[in-house]
Amino acid sequence: MSQQNKSANTNKKSQQAPLLVQMGIYASILFVSNIISNLAPASFPVPAPVIGMILLYSLLSLHIIKVEWVDSFGAILINLIGFLFVPSGISLAANLGIMKAEGLQIVTVIIISTIILLLVTAYTVRFFIWLKRKHPVHLKKTKTAKSVPVHVLSRAKGEN
Amino acid sequence: MQILTTPFFGIFLSLIVYLVGQWLFKKTHGLFFFQPLFVAMVLGIIILVVLAKFLGQDVANLYNTAYRPGGDIIFWFLNPATIAFAIPLYKRNDIVKKYWAEILSGLLFGTVISLFAIVGVSKLIGLNQTGTASMLPQAATTAIALPISKAIGGNSSITAMACILNAVIIYALGGWLVRKFRLNDDPIGEGLGLGTAGHTVGSAFALKLGSVQGSMAAIAVVIIGAVVDLVVPIFSHLVL
Repeated sequence: MSQQNKSANTNKKSQQAPLLVQMGIYASILFVSNIISNLAPASFPVPAPVIGMILLYSLLSLHIIKVEWVDSFGAILINLIGFLFVPSGISLAANLGIMKAEGLQIVTVIIISTIILLLVTAYTVRFFIWLKRKHPVHLKKTKTAKSVPVHVLSRAKGEN
Repeated sequence: MQILTTPFFGIFLSLIVYLVGQWLFKKTHGLFFFQPLFVAMVLGIIILVVLAKFLGQDVANLYNTAYRPGGDIIFWFLNPATIAFAIPLYKRNDIVKKYWAEILSGLLFGTVISLFAIVGVSKLIGLNQTGTASMLPQAATTAIALPISKAIGGNSSITAMACILNAVIIYALGGWLVRKFRLNDDPIGEGLGLGTAGHTVGSAFALKLGSVQGSMAAIAVVIIGAVVDLVVPIFSHLVL
């Protein structure tokens, strides 16, 4: 059984694009999004990786890029994100002056703000979803919107 | 000293402190205080401070000359890593298509409410005008938050600190907060909240909870960026 599973796994893996091809796709998207990011006005900054995420999402949604071409390298990067963030954490060493002056106040506000952002966002979204479920009549548009996901879901299933 | 100014030192230090963090986290069976990213940050800063004392240098200077060359190389990989979040988002396109109106309105109103709360807390704890302004753009990723912070009269170093600590706090306390406030009851709100509060790192955390949470956190990172771009300058003009 386990051997069969293994062979099935390797078959699945062989559908994945080679690592260098995947890296090439990421590099191309980053290069293009960096150009777009430089065109954005200074008052409305849009960082290159955020543009890149939108680009990759659009390319996937339009079926120009297949998930298998970017999936495994993306999973590696996402799993590493805790580590990739270490230099940002250590960069606070350059700001120890501020920490000495009013660090306790600032850190306290940051901790509370983080919790505020998490809870307020989560509960606000929950409220809007509850509103939609509770009063579907008031939002007539949702009736047409409701038929869309079913169609999309069935199409997605068919493709699999 | 010359040995320290090559990128090798920064990369070596980052890996060692993170591995120590992972080891401690395992040894203590996942005690939040020993979350690898948090341990790595604290340990790394302590090592730089001690090293600076030993060499008779300023810590900020040592950070820039010795740690940064290597640290920047690792930091660069956050670019493709952020892009990669398009994949979990795409995989749950069904949720996006079904709930896009709730996602957008939730994030917009959530941000405005949070901004009022953050101003209140800052005033209560006694931050000055600059400090309060620096706190406002923190829901966006660093690249958006820093220029906005400067534009509204904040201190971009404090804002950078906020953005970084957001991620560390969510990674360390996220599990506890999710349980305490029963965020699991609604995976869509849970994911959007984690992406808003913890940015890319919060998204990685959300992805561990489930595919819906992960995709929602990813979309939150994008939309919150735009919301902060648009709302925070107006808000600070009206309220501060």
